[in-house]
Amino acid sequence: MTGPPAGPSAPSAGSGRPGRVVIGTLGLDQHEVGAMAISRILIRHGYEVIYLGRFNTPERLTGAAEQEDADLVGVSIHSWEYTAYADELLARCQELGIGLVFGGSVLTERDQAELLGRGADAVFGPYASEATMLRQIDAVVRRVRGGDRPARAHQPGPDHPLQLAGQVVIVTGAAHGLGRAYALELCRQGAAVVADDIDEAALKEVTDAAADLPGSVHAVVCDVTGSDAPRTMLDAALRRYGQLHGLVSNAGLLRSGPILRLDDSDLHLLLEVHVTAPFRLLRAIGGYWRAESKAGRAVEASVVLTTSAAGLYGFRAEAAYSAAKAAVAMLARVGADELGRYGATVNAVAPVARTRLTEWLGEAPPNPGDDPLAADHVAPAIAWLLGPAARNITGRVLEVGNGRISAPSPWQPGPQFPLPSLLSPEAADLLLPQVLASATPPLEVLSSQVTGPE
Amino acid sequence: MTGNEAASSAAGIPLRPFYAPGAGGRDYAEIGDPGAYPYTRGRIGPPAARTRRRRGWIHRELSGEGSPRRSNEQLRALLARGALGIDVIGDNPTMSALDPDHPMCTPAVGTTGVSLCRKQDFIELVAGIPLDEITLSHSLPPAFALAGQYLASPCHGIDPRVLRGSAIQPPLYSEDCSYSTFLPFGTRMRLTLDSIVFALREMPRFHAFLEDTYYISDGGLDVVEEMSLGLLEIREVCRRLLARGLPVDSFAPRIAILVNCRMDLFEEIAKIRATRRMFARMMREEFGATDPRSWSVNIAVHTSGLTLTAAQPANNIVRGAVQALAMAMAGVQGLEISAFDEPFRTPSAIAHQVAIRTQQVIQTETNVTAVEDPLGGSWYLESLTDELEGRIDAAVRQIEALGDVGTLVETGYFRNIFLHGMDRHSRAVQSGELRMVGVNEHVIAPEDDWFLRDIAEQRFEPDYAHVESIRAWRPTRDDVALRAGLEHVREASADPEADLMGPIVAALDADATIGEITGCLREGLGLPGDPFEFAARRQAPGIRT
Repeated sequence: MTGPPAGPSAPSAGSGRPGRVVIGTLGLDQHEVGAMAISRILIRHGYEVIYLGRFNTPERLTGAAEQEDADLVGVSIHSWEYTAYADELLARCQELGIGLVFGGSVLTERDQAELLGRGADAVFGPYASEATMLRQIDAVVRRVRGGDRPARAHQPGPDHPLQLAGQVVIVTGAAHGLGRAYALELCRQGAAVVADDIDEAALKEVTDAAADLPGSVHAVVCDVTGSDAPRTMLDAALRRYGQLHGLVSNAGLLRSGPILRLDDSDLHLLLEVHVTAPFRLLRAIGGYWRAESKAGRAVEASVVLTTSAAGLYGFRAEAAYSAAKAAVAMLARVGADELGRYGATVNAVAPVARTRLTEWLGEAPPNPGDDPLAADHVAPAIAWLLGPAARNITGRVLEVGNGRISAPSPWQPGPQFPLPSLLSPEAADLLLPQVLASATPPLEVLSSQVTGPE
Repeated sequence: MTGNEAASSAAGIPLRPFYAPGAGGRDYAEIGDPGAYPYTRGRIGPPAARTRRRRGWIHRELSGEGSPRRSNEQLRALLARGALGIDVIGDNPTMSALDPDHPMCTPAVGTTGVSLCRKQDFIELVAGIPLDEITLSHSLPPAFALAGQYLASPCHGIDPRVLRGSAIQPPLYSEDCSYSTFLPFGTRMRLTLDSIVFALREMPRFHAFLEDTYYISDGGLDVVEEMSLGLLEIREVCRRLLARGLPVDSFAPRIAILVNCRMDLFEEIAKIRATRRMFARMMREEFGATDPRSWSVNIAVHTSGLTLTAAQPANNIVRGAVQALAMAMAGVQGLEISAFDEPFRTPSAIAHQVAIRTQQVIQTETNVTAVEDPLGGSWYLESLTDELEGRIDAAVRQIEALGDVGTLVETGYFRNIFLHGMDRHSRAVQSGELRMVGVNEHVIAPEDDWFLRDIAEQRFEPDYAHVESIRAWRPTRDDVALRAGLEHVREASADPEADLMGPIVAALDADATIGEITGCLREGLGLPGDPFEFAARRQAPGIRT
């Protein structure tokens, strides 16, 4: 089952692609080798290319760019004719607020510097590497979409800037509750979401709900506990979009019961879903980012894992669930350390929301806007962690929902005391109460009498 | 390629570690002596004792820059340095059969070749050039090249009947490969056929049908694609000439081929040997030619610009030299080396000199021309020749089995081949699969890469003065003769049975421009005369009016 693809007539903001680019040569420059090569490269990486071929004037190139709502114009140069057109082209692109990139065999280093000085966004000489071109074009698209340049007519209002346009993000457990809210919010901000769930019908409903949003949803029906699930999702993302920038590991379930009563099958299931599945996802997707990074392509990737107040503070009669969620928080911490070198951030969110896992919270008020526990309040924080403003945020936990947001203090060493080489029972009786009394005591484990840490 | 992979040629032919007797697998009759059917070893045998014919090939270099007068100086400079022939290419407007004062054209006038749009231009281009002694190869729209030279040479006292040289006939592929003239396939083919017939009658020593596989292949095609498309075009044009009732022996001797030469040298040499053999067989066995001159095709070569690099331009001199040496040993009739500044511009004077000197060093110092086909009998080369012949032949048959070639042209079948070749090449360079010194191996920092760059990166302005002179000249023409000449072109274009060459020569003689004549060809078909109507009212950039 797949979601509706972004149609060719959809505006770029809604295409979910990394960028929409007009490519052509100028004047009577008939050499198409460079124009073809860059077009194929961009298409392979998920861009939409409007290929105008030969015999263009500045007004033709920018006219097509305006009509197609392109992010930038790319001109391939194999003849000195471009010098007669460069100024006009630069002015027209600036007026439209779109990017302008030149590339070609005859561009010397002096030419490149000159074009950049006159306002071109990027200039590639002969043999610019694919990685360099992609990285710079991606940066131009982001800048154009981010509105550093004069805003385009089609850009939506300020309450929903398309911070995530061009980003491809996997969301697991996307059919219900928080996952659904995340998928739709990411779409609202322009992302292409690869939405995973086992509930095919509900997933279909999410793709339908996203139909009118700027981004898009590509549904993948897959159980996160399967050992090949990460590969399935990654392949789906790469086949569909040619790249992957983010992961929101959200899929979860609850098996409640005091330690003395929880059986092995429930314990295994909790650990599989909450710990093993995100671990495997990090391993597979992190491997992809590492390969991208080693191939010289700039990676700007983000992972958001889902922990819980239970994992941070403990929850009465939910020892296994709490332990699993505590593991997720630590997975984010160490994952951030390991994947940072490849360009990926890893954070975790502890949502406080009314979902199928928190039925004990009771009935929601009739109007979700009035419900501080609505999943919709958590989603913008997730989007922010995936966006350009959070590039330097990694290894952190956010607790979000019920009308408040915080970054819980993590584990840290308490006041330190000298440890005798041989701690006698008598000495222990004296020392340990002292040690414990000097440290911050843990909170009471949570229980259903409270709706979050007070 | 790493040491673990099996070796293969540039076109992907698997290679053995070494070759032994029997690898070529043919008896000698299938190869033949130089100058004897099937001409594998060379078009002509060694010169008989006491003849004046010199050994070797015609040394020439691609030329043309700015106005016809400036290009004429360039041609003279090349001849003064010992060039034995001339190859002149038009600038971008000329190649597209457009006039220099069209707003779309002005920024490109003279920067990549000579600007030619009227009879006077052709006269000025060849002034003082001994056209009765040397060959003049035109890389120009062929009907206009032939008409222009036919009109210009009598002005210098030279009978067109003694002219030697060639004109590229690109009816199948020109729109897809940089030589677009914005004419439909049917008209392009008519121009080809009519101009060949015209030249057979008026310029009988001229190779009016030069099949140019260089320009179609230098985007990234391999040798099998290059030669199969080339032979396909030759076959298509020949069939149509035969259908007009021309005997094959009347035109086949006037066919020549201009091929590419990349860096897999044995493959390139084998390609030329295979092509000579295939052409001979095709002419004798398929088209029934009986004149031996119809069987032995004249092959010239232009070394590949795509193999040259903007990085470390001096390395290009080395590439040109090894390619030229290979082509000398392949026994070509003419040779042009892509000059070391090719990645940046049309050749500078010093790059021209280096290229001519390279040819002269090979010709005079290496003794490689002392013996015909010096590599013949190499087990490896004979095997490669056989293998390429089989692959090229299969590719030709495969395309011809698809049906009408004109339909394939118009439905973009060939364009896809060219685009695919370009993509394949750029991917191979990007991935390092195609190893290029200075590009994906042995790279040096830009600040260390200074040698010869100053020369290679020199640039010159479009020839705005020439544009102004054309503008000033237009109103001085005899309007009555001009209008009549153009009307005849329009009428001929509208009549599929009419000859186009007579009206074109007459109109050019009446001072119509190439752009005007081509516009009338379009109008006769009911098309807009100006292919760039959208730009017609643009103020020409760079010109203050």
